[in-house]
Amino acid sequence: MINLKNVRKSYGAVEVIKGVNITVEDGEFAVFVGPSGCGKSTLLRMIAGLEGIDEGDLILNGKRINDVSPDKRGIAMVFQSYALYPHMTVAENIGFSLSLKKVPQAEINREVGAVAEVLQLTDYLNRRPAALSGGQRQRVAIGRAIIKKPSLILFDEPLSNLDSALRVQMRAELQRLHRELKATVVYVTHDQVEAMTMADRIVVMNGGHVAQQGAPMDLYHAPENEFVATFIGSPKMNIIPVTVTRGNGGVAHVESALGLSFDLPDANNALPQGAAKLGIRPEHLRLSTDSNAVSMEVAIVERLGVETYLTVGTTENPVVVRTEGDVAIRAGDRVSLTVDLAGCHLFDSAGRVSRPSSAI
Amino acid sequence: MAALSPSEAANAGRANLMAYATLSIISIFCIIPFFWVLLASLDGNAKLFLAWPENWTIANYARVFTKEDGGKWLFNSLFMVGGATLLVMVLAGLGGYALSRTNAWWKLPFLYGILLIRVLPQTALVVPLYKLMLTLNNAEGNLLRPIFGEYTRAIMRWTGFIDGYLGMILLLATMQLPLALWIMKTFFDGLPRDYEEAALMDGATLIQRIRRVLIPLALPGLAAAGLFAFMSAWGDFLLPLTFLSSPELQTLPLGLFRAFLRVNEIDYGLLAALAFIYLLPAVIAFGFARRFLVQTFSGGVKG
Repeated sequence: MINLKNVRKSYGAVEVIKGVNITVEDGEFAVFVGPSGCGKSTLLRMIAGLEGIDEGDLILNGKRINDVSPDKRGIAMVFQSYALYPHMTVAENIGFSLSLKKVPQAEINREVGAVAEVLQLTDYLNRRPAALSGGQRQRVAIGRAIIKKPSLILFDEPLSNLDSALRVQMRAELQRLHRELKATVVYVTHDQVEAMTMADRIVVMNGGHVAQQGAPMDLYHAPENEFVATFIGSPKMNIIPVTVTRGNGGVAHVESALGLSFDLPDANNALPQGAAKLGIRPEHLRLSTDSNAVSMEVAIVERLGVETYLTVGTTENPVVVRTEGDVAIRAGDRVSLTVDLAGCHLFDSAGRVSRPSSAI
Repeated sequence: MAALSPSEAANAGRANLMAYATLSIISIFCIIPFFWVLLASLDGNAKLFLAWPENWTIANYARVFTKEDGGKWLFNSLFMVGGATLLVMVLAGLGGYALSRTNAWWKLPFLYGILLIRVLPQTALVVPLYKLMLTLNNAEGNLLRPIFGEYTRAIMRWTGFIDGYLGMILLLATMQLPLALWIMKTFFDGLPRDYEEAALMDGATLIQRIRRVLIPLALPGLAAAGLFAFMSAWGDFLLPLTFLSSPELQTLPLGLFRAFLRVNEIDYGLLAALAFIYLLPAVIAFGFARRFLVQTFSGGVKG
């Protein structure tokens, strides 16, 4: 288990990690995700020991390791560039950490053989990294990490150098490996799709803060703020400026310039009043034949076969609607929309969320 | 490339012919001196003119090593230039790494500053350099003489700053170091830190990181820097002329120069043989350098 308690880091006057609290349980696949410059890579390098920690505690398996040298932490890291030594063969690369510890060659060979077996690299052990494909290099880099039997493996954007087809394949491969090795993994990426598909726990970072952490579907369905709401999910959650007024009988009335007008259940009077933003995912807007539904003109139609995305609304405030299958709608047509009330999120001016609540 | 019309093709053909003819004439002009050296060195009766030898012989080469002190000159040249090259490689390797990885404010001024050494005419530097080396040499002499007495000169042939191997090696290395530092700094700039950090994570100590990761990775750059230093120092004439005086310390360019200056006779066969021997190491070094230069200046390490 790894535990970060109120961890801070500054470069000169610029604070890049602003008090971060994260817990990753044993065997978990945790993904740090966020836009570039959010501090996720710095945080990873702090866990690895390649960057110092200015303040706070880094606790691995109950021991504070802030000042333990990188090689004594029992942590392995897979670099974005893989950093395979070009002058060594695959076998030498994988066995490098053992040979540094003066482990007898016969034992190194046995260990390397076992790791190569797991990673399907047995046929390539005598090659140089330059003679390998991107996916194979990736596996060698992983081999170099797991031969140390680390209690934690760190991945720094490991798939960003691969083409998109290989990336999908390696995502599955990494999940298989994680299952087989039962290792704890901390994985950094800027790609929310990687985060959603692989993670047991996602830590969304923004501007040196943790914006939210939790299981992928919790983040998807119950984002705590506008940043997480729009960062997680593809296509993005629609954000529509609205005006909220208190209605009668535990409801809040929502109206927008686009023509939306509906009541949200608000049993505790918890929803913000006045100007707010409505967040709603494309799948929570439905085509309808209902006469009191709002009618909008379709600007763009994107057909993906199994689903179709319609873009309605104005150019300043486009709204994406997801429909099942291949619908016979063309750009310029008008459609009627209804809102799934359970999928509504209201964000106040600070970006904090509040959700509709029914009286029980 | 767009297809050419027949008239354009004819023009291109003529233009190519002219270009190749001009280039051939220029290359012949450039090659002839080298060709003369090779022919004359094998000619028993060599003259100043380009002539096909009537009696082929290696007597000229034999004379370099028997009648003259050619073997000694060659050794001196190889030892001094080789020592300087080795020193340059070690210092440029360490210094280039430091210059690449630091963000100190003085880094760029320093790098341009050392390049200035290359830009200043060597002849202008010789006077202050001589003063400096003389002071050091006298100091060393004063220190050693009370201890070693009459053996002092024999020791200072190796360790002296003037008319000694050490001084010559230091001087040659100083002249070659700036360029070598630039080459190594640029080389390390292109070498991601990830390699070192990966080695650090793998538990490598500082020495292990240098020996097992950095040196193998830096080898192409070191080779390029070393070969440049060797070729340039090999061709240096002014420094040996100024700072060496004993006949036992004479180097190949000095031997060649003094053989040329003899008043009574000019032995073109001997001069050509000497010149050819002097050319050879530089050409061999260049042959090696080509391989590494491509690797070093086309983007460093791949893989």
